[in-house]
Amino acid sequence: MKNNYRHGLALAGIFALFLNFSPPILSQNLPLKKISGTITDANGPLSGVNVLVKNTARGSTSDLDGRYSVNASLNDTLVFTYLGYKPVEIAVSSNNSINVFMQSDATALDQVIINAGYYKVSDKEKTGSIARVTAEEIESQPVNNPLEALQGRTPGLVITPTTGLPGGGVQVRIRGQNSITAGNEPLFVIDGIPYDSQSLSNGYASNPLLPDGNVSPLNNISPSEIESIEILKDADATAIYGSRGANGVVLITTKEGKSGKTRYNFKFQSSLGHVTRFQEQLNTLQYIRMREEAFANDGITEYPDYEYDVNGTWDKNRYTNWQKELIGETAYRNTINADVSGGGEQTRFLLSTQYTTETTVFPGDSHFNRASVHSAINHRDKADKFTVKFTAHYGIENNTLPARDLTFRALTLAPNAPAIYDENGDLNWEDGTFTNPLSILEADYLQHRKTLLSNLALHYQIIPSLGIRLNSGYENSNLDESRTNPNTVYNPDYGLGPDYSTIFVNKGDRTSWIMEPQVEWSIKLLGGQLTALAGASFQQRTDAVLSYFGQGFASNDLIYDLAAASFIQIDRDLEAKYKYEALYGRLNYNFQNKYILNLTGRRDGSSRFGPGKKFSNFGAIGAAYVFSEESFLKNSHWLSLGKLRGSYGTTGNDQIGDYGYLDTYTVSGTPYGGTIGIGPTQLYNPNFGWEINKKGTVALELGLWDNRISMTAEWYKNRSGNQLVGVPLPWTTGFPTVQANLGAIVENRGWELSLQTENFKTDNFSWTTHINLTLPKNELVAFPGLEASTYANQYVIGQPITIKKVFHYTGIDPETGIYQFEDYDGDGNISIPNDQQYTVDTAPKFYGGLSNSFKYHNWDLSLFFQFTKQKNYNYWYTASPAGIMVNQPIAVLDHWQTPGDNSETQLYTSGNNVVATTAFYNFIQSDAAISDASYIRLKNAAISYSLPLGKLTGKVFLQGQNLITFTNFKGGDPEQFSGFTPPLRWLGGGFQLTF
Amino acid sequence: MKTILNFLNRLAYLAIVSITALSFIGCEKDLEVGLPNSQLTGISVFQNVATARAALAKIYADIRDTPPLTGTSEGLNLLIGLYADEMKYYGEGGSSIEAFYKHNIQSNSSLTEGFWSGGYQAIYQCNSVLEGLATAPITGEEKAPLEGEALFLRAYLHFYLLNLYGDIPFINTTDYLVNASVKRQPQEEVYTAIIADLEQANELLPNTDQSGQYIYATKAAANALLARIYLYREQWQKSLDAATTVLEDSPHTFTDDLSQVFVSTGPGIIWQLPPITSLTTSEAFTFIFETAPPPLAALQPELIESFEPNDARLSQWIGVVTDGTQNWYYPYKYKTRIAGDGPEEFSVLMRLAEVFLIRAEARVHLGDIGGAQSDLNKIRHRADLEDSTASTETELITAILEERRHELFTEQGHRWFDLKRTGNAAEVLQPLKPNWRITDLLFPLPQQELRLNPNLQPQNPGY
Repeated sequence: MKNNYRHGLALAGIFALFLNFSPPILSQNLPLKKISGTITDANGPLSGVNVLVKNTARGSTSDLDGRYSVNASLNDTLVFTYLGYKPVEIAVSSNNSINVFMQSDATALDQVIINAGYYKVSDKEKTGSIARVTAEEIESQPVNNPLEALQGRTPGLVITPTTGLPGGGVQVRIRGQNSITAGNEPLFVIDGIPYDSQSLSNGYASNPLLPDGNVSPLNNISPSEIESIEILKDADATAIYGSRGANGVVLITTKEGKSGKTRYNFKFQSSLGHVTRFQEQLNTLQYIRMREEAFANDGITEYPDYEYDVNGTWDKNRYTNWQKELIGETAYRNTINADVSGGGEQTRFLLSTQYTTETTVFPGDSHFNRASVHSAINHRDKADKFTVKFTAHYGIENNTLPARDLTFRALTLAPNAPAIYDENGDLNWEDGTFTNPLSILEADYLQHRKTLLSNLALHYQIIPSLGIRLNSGYENSNLDESRTNPNTVYNPDYGLGPDYSTIFVNKGDRTSWIMEPQVEWSIKLLGGQLTALAGASFQQRTDAVLSYFGQGFASNDLIYDLAAASFIQIDRDLEAKYKYEALYGRLNYNFQNKYILNLTGRRDGSSRFGPGKKFSNFGAIGAAYVFSEESFLKNSHWLSLGKLRGSYGTTGNDQIGDYGYLDTYTVSGTPYGGTIGIGPTQLYNPNFGWEINKKGTVALELGLWDNRISMTAEWYKNRSGNQLVGVPLPWTTGFPTVQANLGAIVENRGWELSLQTENFKTDNFSWTTHINLTLPKNELVAFPGLEASTYANQYVIGQPITIKKVFHYTGIDPETGIYQFEDYDGDGNISIPNDQQYTVDTAPKFYGGLSNSFKYHNWDLSLFFQFTKQKNYNYWYTASPAGIMVNQPIAVLDHWQTPGDNSETQLYTSGNNVVATTAFYNFIQSDAAISDASYIRLKNAAISYSLPLGKLTGKVFLQGQNLITFTNFKGGDPEQFSGFTPPLRWLGGGFQLTF
Repeated sequence: MKTILNFLNRLAYLAIVSITALSFIGCEKDLEVGLPNSQLTGISVFQNVATARAALAKIYADIRDTPPLTGTSEGLNLLIGLYADEMKYYGEGGSSIEAFYKHNIQSNSSLTEGFWSGGYQAIYQCNSVLEGLATAPITGEEKAPLEGEALFLRAYLHFYLLNLYGDIPFINTTDYLVNASVKRQPQEEVYTAIIADLEQANELLPNTDQSGQYIYATKAAANALLARIYLYREQWQKSLDAATTVLEDSPHTFTDDLSQVFVSTGPGIIWQLPPITSLTTSEAFTFIFETAPPPLAALQPELIESFEPNDARLSQWIGVVTDGTQNWYYPYKYKTRIAGDGPEEFSVLMRLAEVFLIRAEARVHLGDIGGAQSDLNKIRHRADLEDSTASTETELITAILEERRHELFTEQGHRWFDLKRTGNAAEVLQPLKPNWRITDLLFPLPQQELRLNPNLQPQNPGY
């Protein structure tokens, strides 16, 4: 094994030597002179235009009066670019002053510069699949987490918020699910620094509230800090991220200052949020009838002691709409932004600050606050050889939520349950017969997070063709969360005092640094341009976690003072390290902007793997053929861009826990008779290694009639093998999983289509439309030994890995009124696993978005629809048998009563008919509990008006999110994670002033 | 010329820097991170007695804190109490606990899965300790009690799984490749393995535990469990012998004072689990309530009525709450809910009274009526009751079972296992539980377990 890496090292050394000692370029060492001028457009001076000396790193930006100056030589060409304008190229020759007039071009693709992570590339010359979402699209949406703004905006990307509560998580899937179990999250990179999306949260504290304890680390970043988000999808774009690129890469670029006059910007925004859709439940009359019929069916005439809803203890006429009561409040969100930016030719700066406060749809004073500061400084020296960029973000979040989500209770509570408060305004326990849902509010979940992200990028252009760069970053994030359980959450009948009040506290601290030295080299070769990049990456991360449990307080007012606890137990005091090293490189050859070849590669090492398995190599080849550059098409008036591109390569996945390959014992924290126990940490497997993901893409990009119509059609096929998964195991092994590689091959393939049209364009009115559509397909291609594995009853070769194997519901027996199922094994008994042979796929069949933007004088209007065709678990999945003391969807009204009835719901039972109960639990594990969850949603609508205020510019706007939903879904919101708060409908407005 | 030299110089410098940087990469040593501060390697745990003892302490703590034997509402005390005829349910409709009371248990019940997973997770740890000790460089004298305790705990856990689920796999290795595809073994085979473990444990275990509080297993614990197993299997002589060993040849003595039975210093306690320092037993938390109606569960009125009126256990071990017209009763064997606010109590898993009743039953079957009466009356006298009037074999068996019902109520499901082994379950439960079916004698294997390991098929009938 040792030999292997030496071999790799030797190769890497040769590569480096080749880079460094190849003959220096025959560069024109002509003297530089200062060129200056003014840039204007139809409205006068244009500031912020990028001026670049072609094929060098020298450049400048025009100031507020449109003036610029730059050093260039006689043979140089100046390139003027500005977003939304056609680029201009002018040869310097003998001029000392060059004035430029720029023409606006809303759909110009060429000069959109795409961030590809380690390098930048123009949209026209890119060889990989990279989608870009700009600040404009993000800011028009009233969302708290920037990832939510991406939903439906680009093909191949599925974003699912896991809860409508602030501070929750967001699931991101780029081109489908590659890995059989965990580790399907993409890599997040903020300003060049990989950002760990693994939450520091302890599930024990946050699970009852946030599904899977998923706290999105990006909650800390305000959407207003972001300049653009790039999604890297194919091998060409992601292979340079090697082992972490398998699930795609999300690059987040924060805003930076523009030179020119100091500019102040202020923005205020306020929105109101509501649950999008309530589920229609039984009212009291219907409910009591159901209950009485259920007891009658079961032959029970005397209602049992504890069936308080029907036995006369509770008022049988009282009605409460518990959804309205428990998740029906209005949530507020207010955001204030202020920033100042400016600078001269050499130095630019941006300082911005923002504050957000958000409440929930629950009663009580749950709220989320976030304050953050973002700063960016850019500097270049006079000689234009050295540039430095420093960005820093510091954010603080405070989240106060009830310890449990109230959504599930809102659906299940009997509609005639007693009042929440008694006449004194205290929580009503109705003499101990009523577990008051708001007793949950007595317990709090508090979360404080602080995040510092800083990035320093140094670049030195040694000679025009050779530059070196050092990218370094430091991250410190700190999470402090607690969940209290005071005695007041318990039924007072227990007579428990604050001696039984408990608190669980979890403190996590993550420090991570990264250093990435790089060399960039560019020469003219055989009539084309060869660009090479080589770099290395060193990263180390340390997580320190301390969690403890305290119980027994003199008073609940002291619950946050650990010193007041009569019992303290340290649950975990852990420090874990993760180290990561990589070498990467890129070779790009561009022949007259017509043929472009892009080679990328990476060699990665990770401490998460055992001896001999730590290293692996990844690489990709990408190519593009811009046929519109061919002479016979170059002057075509209808074809402005025609490009064919493709790529193939490998990436990996190391999203597993640290230290998984070791046989260890961990301190349990639980004492027994004065000894703190230690127990086996996991089933260990010293042999697991890297997962390999192979990706292929072919795409056609067209721009027609001056790019008034542009479209991309892309086909992709990704295969991931040597799956690195936590293989599920039966409990007889002592643990639920073991980390191992599986021979299974999962394929994701599909079509991604996007179309952008400029339907109408005059000086005063314009209308553009974007449509994107994704047709994904997932398939388990191979799985050697599937039959003998623990997956035998979960997967089928040739089918997607998102299938569910369930019972097949065949209807109600009209004689008995009981649900019937297909008896696959014919043994006369419906049992698991033999009769769960029916497969249903819950992955989306297709999804996409449609957006329309209109501009009329000072008015801007955008409407964005998002749609998905899919199946999902409906309300039956979390329901209980109709007839017991749990409320039901109104669908149960259509139920079996007399022989011959053909109804949706079987006969009611109070829980004393075991045959019906068993049939019900089979029913919710059948295809009947999975139904159409397709929807079309007016995801976003925004209208704004620009105020002509002279020197001051201003804007007022109205924005809405999740406004209208069209769906046949049997349940609440079709995007909801069952049992948790659904995504909310937000409606709001605000204003922005710039001067 | 100078510029070219300068340039070459710079280039050379750059090359050196790059090569130095690159040489850092590709070296596995740089990626070694060492163990986290809270972990030990498996081998080092068994290098000394203290850490090996800590590994065992974790198993005891897990038995105390997790199903099936925890005293919380997820354990046998409450759940099997509801399932049999000891407890009456008062909690929320539709809950997973209610399913025990109503005999509505499904194969996806998280609570029955808890019994199964908690049992096998603890068994894994026993096997891990046994395998670690096998090659441990500690002396035989130090090793013996550790090994004995691990064997005892493995047998004890299998005993409960067997009685809850019927045929089960007996797990005696940590190898997950083996354990992932095990088959269910006939009860006879499992019992043989359990008995073998206990006999070996009996050889290795000491008479008194090192703590002096009987919080670790001893010879008496192994023998008491053997006596119970032989009783369940109707091997009367063996049961009698094992019981007699405990009663005559152990440091435990019978107390005549009911108030001394569940305090931590109780002389009749064979094995008990101390709660976490400065906390109290979860049994007290689960069962006690102060006002009515009961928040979760209360003792069945029929159980209260079955006591003889002057039975001292009625007042000493049972609490009562009244609203003036109706009374509700709760198990009050454990009284202390706030540490220091009452006697110190641990959760008792084995005590002498049960062994007396085991011997009484064995003696009846072996024809020793006088001996049986003497053992039975010892328990009755402590409860301020007269000598039993039972004198025939049938009468005595009925009297002993009734005595077990009154002595051992809400303790780890004794009542339910008695109903099962004597074949009385149907007769007793049919009138109480509309959903009663004969297949209720066994719980369902967790459905996920059958999906992951089809070798565990068939599922118990009725699920």
